[in-house]
Amino acid sequence: MKFKNYDYYLIILTTLILFMIGAVSLYGITYYNYLAVDSGWTKTAQYSQYIDGMDSYLYPFLVLLLISLGLCIPKRLFEQDVLLKFSAIILGITVILTIFSTIETGLGFILILMTVVQSVVLIMTIRKSKSIRFEKEGFIARMGSSLLHLGLVVIMLNFVGLRDSPYHLLIFWFGVIFITLGNVLSFYPEKIASLIFISE
Amino acid sequence: MGYAEYLGAREFLEMVGRPIITYILIISLFQGIFSILCLLRKDNRYFDYLIKCLYISTGLYFIGFLTLAWLHIQIYNTVLIEYPAALRQMIPVENSRIAAPLWIESEKLYFWAMCACAFSLTVKKRKDIMALIGIILSIFSLTVYFFSNPFKDPLPIVNSEITRWYAALSSGDMGIFQLAGTLYGRVTYYYNSTYMWTHPPMLFLAYASLIITFAACVYMLFKKDKLYEEIAYSYAKIGYILLTTGMLMGYPWAVEAWKDSAWWWDPKISGSIMMWVLYSAYLHSRIYISKGKMWRTTAYLGILCFASLVFTYLLTYIVPGIHSVVQP
Repeated sequence: MKFKNYDYYLIILTTLILFMIGAVSLYGITYYNYLAVDSGWTKTAQYSQYIDGMDSYLYPFLVLLLISLGLCIPKRLFEQDVLLKFSAIILGITVILTIFSTIETGLGFILILMTVVQSVVLIMTIRKSKSIRFEKEGFIARMGSSLLHLGLVVIMLNFVGLRDSPYHLLIFWFGVIFITLGNVLSFYPEKIASLIFISE
Repeated sequence: MGYAEYLGAREFLEMVGRPIITYILIISLFQGIFSILCLLRKDNRYFDYLIKCLYISTGLYFIGFLTLAWLHIQIYNTVLIEYPAALRQMIPVENSRIAAPLWIESEKLYFWAMCACAFSLTVKKRKDIMALIGIILSIFSLTVYFFSNPFKDPLPIVNSEITRWYAALSSGDMGIFQLAGTLYGRVTYYYNSTYMWTHPPMLFLAYASLIITFAACVYMLFKKDKLYEEIAYSYAKIGYILLTTGMLMGYPWAVEAWKDSAWWWDPKISGSIMMWVLYSAYLHSRIYISKGKMWRTTAYLGILCFASLVFTYLLTYIVPGIHSVVQP
């Protein structure tokens, strides 16, 4: 498969996964409405079951999304054949961890790995490393893309694994800053470049 | 300063606001007619009238918004909630003033409609898109007038809270302790919360921008012209930044204000997640817009995204939950 085609199918896959997460949310709305027959229902065991159920429907798609992002993120570091092997190993470890432990453990593993990988990508982008490849041209757009992806994995890791941490909200705000800055830099690279007087 | 002054301000707003909203309705009806005529007859005259109507209705919306802001300032200045001394151990302040944001209760849709009008003026040179947007904005104004008129019984919930507070204060009712506790929570975590001043307006601005994305996607589907995709994308970018950051800003607020209350996978939150992932899918699909029939998928996704946006907005009124006004 050519690199361009590979990227195209990756985008299709990501779009489908996002669409499926949307479908899970729609199911949640419908089921919540069906269950909410009296105002006290959120204090019952049924509500906890509903939350656990929804999380369990979401997590597999989150894993798939991370794998697709994973295929997207390290493509900047590895060649395509290495990348596919790398992703297959990650998916394998995630599945093993899910079988022998819980899906949260598997998800936690993949999130930590992705945070490390994306942090490396960001550092290499800042240092303008030649060994990193991007679809997008220009320093600002690349910074935006790196920050956006790092922000997303940080936010997900924070929700899945660090909800009880005293640094939960602090990490969350870092994630928000990364995502917002990443979005702005990705969407408006030329304008930002002209504002800070660098050529994009 | 006190309850009487507050009531006077409220009556004055009703008196001033009623003609403003009526004029908005009339102008918007004309706007809708000219939009339909623009679509059917492609005559420049109708387009010029449409743009004039849009300018007038936007101006009226802003004037109405200023009068609403005036009422909010009056509420802040006239209503003082002094907590009973017996509650001082539980409540860390001696008194509170209500700094109610300008996008609560029946003002929500008004604010969204006003932002949508202002955003639509930025694409006023695109006759085709403007005709569709003109119809959407007319429907908006009709809905505001008949279902979410902020000048008819302004801020009913805030009003009932203020009225109950002054009634309990004057009668010496013991229920004032409970009322003071409830009011403290409402004022601190809702009205005066920094998040309430940032989270909803960012979302409404995003919604306003995404209306143009929707209109451009509809045209992309019918006209199969790449130009519409560029318009859709340019407004989707603004909308997506505001939507993402606005939605995320709701999280620390929920943690702070709702603490152990049941809010995760609440219908509005599920709806917001659905809307966000659909817009993310739209932005992904457009990367390969020139490949095969991807332009069609992207256009359909853009339309679906807007349907999910409207659905998410309406969830507050149709499905029970912590964000909702309807309860089981």
